[in-house]
Order: sequence, then C-alpha cells, then structure tokens
Amino acid sequence: MKVVLAQAAPHLGNIGKNLELHLKTIDRARREKADLVVFPELSLTGYKLRDLVETVAADPERSKEIRELRLLSKDLAIVFGFVEERASERGLFYNSAAFCAKGRILHVHRKVFLPTFGMFEELRFFAPGRNFRAFDTPWGKMGLMICRDFLHYNASYLLYAGGAETMIVISAAPGRGLSGGGGFASSRMWELMGEAMGRFSQAFVLYCNRVGLEDGAAFAGGSFLFNPMGRRLAQAAYFEPELLICDIDLNEIRKARKNWPFKRDDKPEVTLEALQRIVHGLDD
Amino acid sequence: MALTIDCPFAVRILTTFIRDELAKFGFKKGILGLSGGLDSSVCAFLAARALGPKNVIGLIMPYGECFGSDVEDAREVARVLKIRSAVIDIAPMVDAYFERFPAANQVRRGNKMARERMSILYDHSAREKALILGTSNKTELLIGYGTIHGDTACAINPLGDLFKTQIRQLAAHLGLPERIRTKLPTAGLWKGQTDEAEIGLAYVEIDRILYQLADERESKAEVIARGFAKAHVEKIMAMIKRSEFKRQMPPIAKISARTVGHDFLYPYDWDK
Repeated sequence: MKVVLAQAAPHLGNIGKNLELHLKTIDRARREKADLVVFPELSLTGYKLRDLVETVAADPERSKEIRELRLLSKDLAIVFGFVEERASERGLFYNSAAFCAKGRILHVHRKVFLPTFGMFEELRFFAPGRNFRAFDTPWGKMGLMICRDFLHYNASYLLYAGGAETMIVISAAPGRGLSGGGGFASSRMWELMGEAMGRFSQAFVLYCNRVGLEDGAAFAGGSFLFNPMGRRLAQAAYFEPELLICDIDLNEIRKARKNWPFKRDDKPEVTLEALQRIVHGLDD
Repeated sequence: MALTIDCPFAVRILTTFIRDELAKFGFKKGILGLSGGLDSSVCAFLAARALGPKNVIGLIMPYGECFGSDVEDAREVARVLKIRSAVIDIAPMVDAYFERFPAANQVRRGNKMARERMSILYDHSAREKALILGTSNKTELLIGYGTIHGDTACAINPLGDLFKTQIRQLAAHLGLPERIRTKLPTAGLWKGQTDEAEIGLAYVEIDRILYQLADERESKAEVIARGFAKAHVEKIMAMIKRSEFKRQMPPIAKISARTVGHDFLYPYDWDK
C-alpha cells in the first residue's frame, strides 16, 4: 500500500484556497500511484479559527467541497480535516476528520479531546466527539484520531480493541521549545507516542502534522509513519512543507501479531469491568 | 542548559515568521529602529535574511550627539547588511516639547524619546509601505522594561519569545559585529544608562529566574529553593506584576452582548 502524508500549510479561514491545495496535492499523489493521501487537522479550514468556526462549517452530506473530495476518492482514499455542522445538529460544531474511499465517506471521526489550556482554546469553539470507532476500509480496519486524541493512549487502545490495524492521526501541533537540538522539543512527545502505539498496538501509525504559521504559532511538521514493530519507516522535515511518500507492507501486521500475540491475549472485558468499577466508584 | 537554543532552527523559524507574516498582509518590506544595540541589530540581521537587504529599512534615531558611538554601530549594521538606512535626529522635536515642560524628569524625557521614535517609525511605515518589526525581547516584555506605545509598539515581533541571553546566542550565530555583541545593554533613555544598573540585576540571572517562573511555571518558593536570592526573585516577581498593563490591551467596560477582545474573537491572520 502506498501512502502519502501531505504535510502542508492550510490557509486560515479560506475553504476555496484550501480546496485548491487539496486538489493539487491529490493530483500529485495520484501521479505517485498512491492508495491513500492524508491531510492534516482542519485541512479545509485552517486551525486557529476562533469565531470564524461557524463561517467555515460544512455538512458532509451537503458541502460541495466535501462532495468534490469524496468523488475524487474513487481510486485514491483521502483523509482530510474540516469543521462539521450537520443539518440534524444545527449550531453544534465539531473538529472532524473524514475518511473517503471508493467515492464514499467511510467514516467521520469527531475530535474527542479538545485541548483547552495554554495556547489552546478548542472547547470554547467546538463540541466534543464521543466515540473512537474502527471502521472497514479496502485495506483492513483503520481508526482515526485528531491531534490531542493521540496523546490520550486510551484512544489508541479503543481503536486497537475495535480491530484497527492502521491508526491515522491528523494533527495541527505547534512546536514549543527550542532546546531539543534539531527541531522542537515538543516533537519528541509525538514521536514517542507513535513508536509506542505502533509497537504495542501492532498497527501502522500514520501521523500527518501541518506546517506554516498562524498568529505566530509555528506548526512543527515532522509527520511520520511507524510500522507494527514500532520501527520508523519515514519522517518528514520539521517546519517545512513536504509530501511524505511511503510504501507500507500490510503483511507486517500479521507478522507482528503472530510473533508477539498481544492482540490475541488482550482482555477488553477485564478493562471494561475495571473501568466500570473505577467510573462508578465500586472499588473501596 | 534550558536557556540554550538551537540557533539554526530558531533562525529558520524567525525568518519564515517575518516573511510569512508580511506576505499575509501584502507587504514586502520591513522597517525597524536601529539603536546600535543587540536586539535591533539581531532583528535587522534576521529581517535582511528573510526579506532581502533591499526590503529592510533601518531608521537610526539618536537624540542629538548624546550617544555618538551607538550611531556608528547602527550604521555599521546597516553597512554590513547592505540594508537601507537613514539617520533622523529626534532632539529638535523632543526639545521643542520639553521647552514647555522644563521640569520633566529623566523618565518622562526617556519615554517621550521612545514615543517620538515610535511616531517616526509609523510615519515611515506608511511612507515606505513597510511593516514595523518589533525588537522587544521576552525578558523586557516580562519585566516591563520598555515604554508602552514607545519601543514596544510594532506590527510583528520576531524576538518577543526569546530571552536576552538567547538573543546573545543568536547574535553570535548570526555573526554580529563583536562590538555590538559585547557592549552593555542600554535602553538609551539617558547618557550612561545601562539596563543592568537600572534594574539592579544581571541579565544572566534575570533570565534564569524568569525561565523558572514563566516557562516552567514554578512558584516563588520553588525558584528560591533552586538557590536564587530571595530578594532577587521577589524583585522580578514584583516587576512582572507591576507591568501587566504593558502586555495587554486596555480593559473595556463590558456592557453589550458581545465585546471586542473578550468574545468577539478573530484570528490576527484572518483570511490571510
């Protein structure tokens, strides 16, 4: 399977320009004979929207931009980020990711963990999603996470327990701290999670982060792919636009899960019961 | 050491920031005040790299003959970088004003000079279609060591998240003239003034204390436990507190359904 991570810099609050960016990138991915192209978080709208959120919100069933992307997915799967507002839930805005393939939207994930601290203020402007669900694709079960979702390891676990063999993370993570040496100090955190989740979920981890600047925040880039043994297959530059192209061998999932049977030996019912005791306060 | 930065990477980010931010607003040129000191020289070096020397204008704005060697150093920066520059003496304007208020003290005079320079920069910004690049560093912003609506006024500030000692690292990396890198920092408010004498602490210590308090969010007790003098930590905390008004827009009495700056919130880079 050939994957393209589009480490791009979306325009803030301008869907027209961003659609153009998507179309151009999809064209390039197609020339590379890619099977899947992944865009970063809120790729159709830009990240730091604040009160612009409502002006760029789209209903995946009705938006003409999303329709265009969906139709382009007939021979190339596309993952992108957008602000979701459905006709059935007027006035509720979600930070969402869509997985399109075979001309259909196979799954929409709504960001569950909306960072609201320090430089982040997502809960001011977005409603939180409430689920992590693995879904079927032509390449096996996959799962979607959006940026901060990935830093909560229960998100990866739920997708793993649900059968995901590939985790796709779309991100708009700013870089913080310059004392790391070679890139931002904060990038290490994402890479560590990528390696750990790849290895212990025995799944491919595709992490696509954005670049560019918004209101002085520098998005770090450094998109990466880890294989089910936790080996880094490829990584894009920090803070530079890049089309990261990588062939992945889906047989590696089988190999990893056969050699180290974590998945076979997992006990989600124990987790469930323990969580119920914790959440409902049944423990002493 | 936590204050040590990766200079080549920092330069990449800051030059991209200058270039991108100007381009978003439809500008090619940047303008800044050149004092002959470290911060404005580093900013000029970054701007020249980001925009090309032709697109950078350095205004050298001395008060009369008061700071002779600084003017020379500022000219040297312009020469080395091959950027455009001009010298505008602010003494006639400032003196004309204080002829009416001769009793004004040093601080009032110093602030007036800073605002005179700001006023000239904004006028030239319009004349040259160039955005003003700020040169206030993080140390100054945190302790409030700057004149509100004076040297802190700008369109974008590439240096505002770098402590003074980190600017020194950048200066060495960028190859600033030795004289500028080693001279004692001064706000240039009056003759013989130095920042460290006025503040009463060395930048090396100020930055280490600020780093623990601001970046690491440590409490006063935690910072003192690291071995810093209690009096120094308290002094810096007091300076931060006293200068909060310089870091914020003025409060608005909130009486409508939606207030500017409070819940009327749009990105600075709105549709750019």
